[in-house]
Amino acid sequence: MRFRSLATLALLCLLVSVLLTPACTTQSRERDDKSKLHVGIVFDIGGKDDRSFNAAAWQGVKRAEKDFPIVLRDVEPGNPTSIEPAMRAFAERGYNLVIGVGFAQSPIMERVAKDYPNVNFAIIDGVIDLPNVASLVFMEHQGSYLVGMIAARTSKTGVLGFIGGMDIPLIHRFAVGYTEGAKAVNPNIQVIQNYVGVTDAAWNNPGKGKELALAQISKGADIIFTAAGNSGLGAFDAVEQYGKQNGRAQRFVIGVDSNQNGVKPGFVLTSMVKRVDNVVYQLVQELVAGRFTGGFHVYGLKEDGVGYAMDQFNQELISPDTLKQVEEAKQKIINGEIQVTDAMKK
Amino acid sequence: MRSIFSIALIFSTLRLATPLIWASHGGMFSERSGVINIALEGIMLAGAFTAASVTFYAGNPWIGLVAGIAAGVAISSIHAVACIRFNANQVVSGMAINILMIGLPAFLGGSLFASTGSTPQIPKENLIPWTPVFLAFLLVPATWYVLYRTPFGLRLRAVGEKPEAADAAGVSVKLMRYSAVLISGALAGVGGAYLSIGQSSLFTRNMTSGRGFISLAALIFGKWRPVQTMLACLLFGFTEAVSIQLQGVRLPSGEDIPNQFIQIIPYVLTIIVLAGFIGQSRAPRAIGLPYQKER
Repeated sequence: MRFRSLATLALLCLLVSVLLTPACTTQSRERDDKSKLHVGIVFDIGGKDDRSFNAAAWQGVKRAEKDFPIVLRDVEPGNPTSIEPAMRAFAERGYNLVIGVGFAQSPIMERVAKDYPNVNFAIIDGVIDLPNVASLVFMEHQGSYLVGMIAARTSKTGVLGFIGGMDIPLIHRFAVGYTEGAKAVNPNIQVIQNYVGVTDAAWNNPGKGKELALAQISKGADIIFTAAGNSGLGAFDAVEQYGKQNGRAQRFVIGVDSNQNGVKPGFVLTSMVKRVDNVVYQLVQELVAGRFTGGFHVYGLKEDGVGYAMDQFNQELISPDTLKQVEEAKQKIINGEIQVTDAMKK
Repeated sequence: MRSIFSIALIFSTLRLATPLIWASHGGMFSERSGVINIALEGIMLAGAFTAASVTFYAGNPWIGLVAGIAAGVAISSIHAVACIRFNANQVVSGMAINILMIGLPAFLGGSLFASTGSTPQIPKENLIPWTPVFLAFLLVPATWYVLYRTPFGLRLRAVGEKPEAADAAGVSVKLMRYSAVLISGALAGVGGAYLSIGQSSLFTRNMTSGRGFISLAALIFGKWRPVQTMLACLLFGFTEAVSIQLQGVRLPSGEDIPNQFIQIIPYVLTIIVLAGFIGQSRAPRAIGLPYQKER
């Protein structure tokens, strides 16, 4: 019996230590240079190498770390419950700026930011009405409208696909903008909308992302826009499966957040980029210059906060005519001549 | 509606059921010998991560698959030693492995790929999309044969039902249980490897998203018997495939079916089938009980 209780105890210790790991990844501040500003970043469940949203935020802070004298620490929470301790750990150690990546962190940050009024916070994709929090919001519907136009003009079947990660208002914003852009080009176009799931596991399920993409393709979709983090990468595999004819892919995918054109070259029509990297970089820049301000910061086409990615991987895939039309629409959106519906404002 | 029930649906069902069949049959060996294997989720993650990493470096999915199996065996050996040698609580040990495998790939991924728990994408030529599916349906009769038609299977079941009697008859309870848990690790490892180098082309954190637990449910649902468990896996695969195909389908009235409704279909169907058609599911009698020789 003694053996048994000992073994149980050992296993419990293992369990507890593993549970605590995320909080321990923030190294002690004692070793850090105290004359420098401290920036802490807490990622979303997707993790910083999702080649998409979190990856963009990570690039931004990394670039800032290179250019400015700051100390940078990051935490990737293994599950939603470890977000709050990580955020509090940064605040408790007197970090100058704590960045939360993703809408899911806003209620948590609201609690933490109230308790530490002297620490600056920034939330990406969320809105918190506190003086020490900068809420960084993107107008994804504007960028999605443009890629919707590109998709509708490139599609041969007249059927488009959309794969969202979690079924939440923020992702509906992508879907609605995309559909509107597509319908502006071709009012009869059909857009099939699918979501991977309703929990945060939906961002990390490439297998299901692929199955959704295959199902959409079997219904005639030839261009699929993904806004699903790691799950979206499954759709990349699905379109690749259909191969190329005469050097041109038969089915295309549209990437999201980061420029994903190079993930499967030739199969990615374009990417709806959300310049989280630039925005995060600017944020640190403002902090260093002592100009950090709380409140709303909105980034749309006008501010270059969203857009579509063109590079050597996709310049052959999109016709110059299409590009011209899309650029015109972009100007009209900036001027306010075209109003894209924002699914989060109702 | 015609478009829903198609060949695509059948293939989708088979693909979605494959990892469940591997893992649940793995669980069957372990649980039939009397060791609860709630660690299936973690073992699948180990298999998936190792298979993807090794395939990426070796450029050959078969080497990756073998490595995935080896990883499954290695992780399950922890479970085996804790439960059989040290008589630990089997649920706690399994849960510890599941949580360990949330963190370990992230840690190893950091040194291997400078990432946090995902591997680079593997080129299409180096994937094995159909072989594991095909083998899964050979696994079912094979498991049946081993469990019911070989001396090894008879001993294994005896150890799970009445270890004292098996012991008295000269069967080594510990040896049987060790081999059963290791076999379960190998099979669940294949299920995990299929996820990362068959169905998709990379490992991402926690990519099993509950498939290990669903396999466990299928195992209970299938009354710890190979064919019934396979049918349970196919049912789970089918409901998920239907929910995928149904999304975005118009009702005859011209309205879309709400996504939220579609997302609950697999679970509602499971409850209905469990409550209405299955009846009592009886576990192996000695399940969860460590065996100690009387002195």
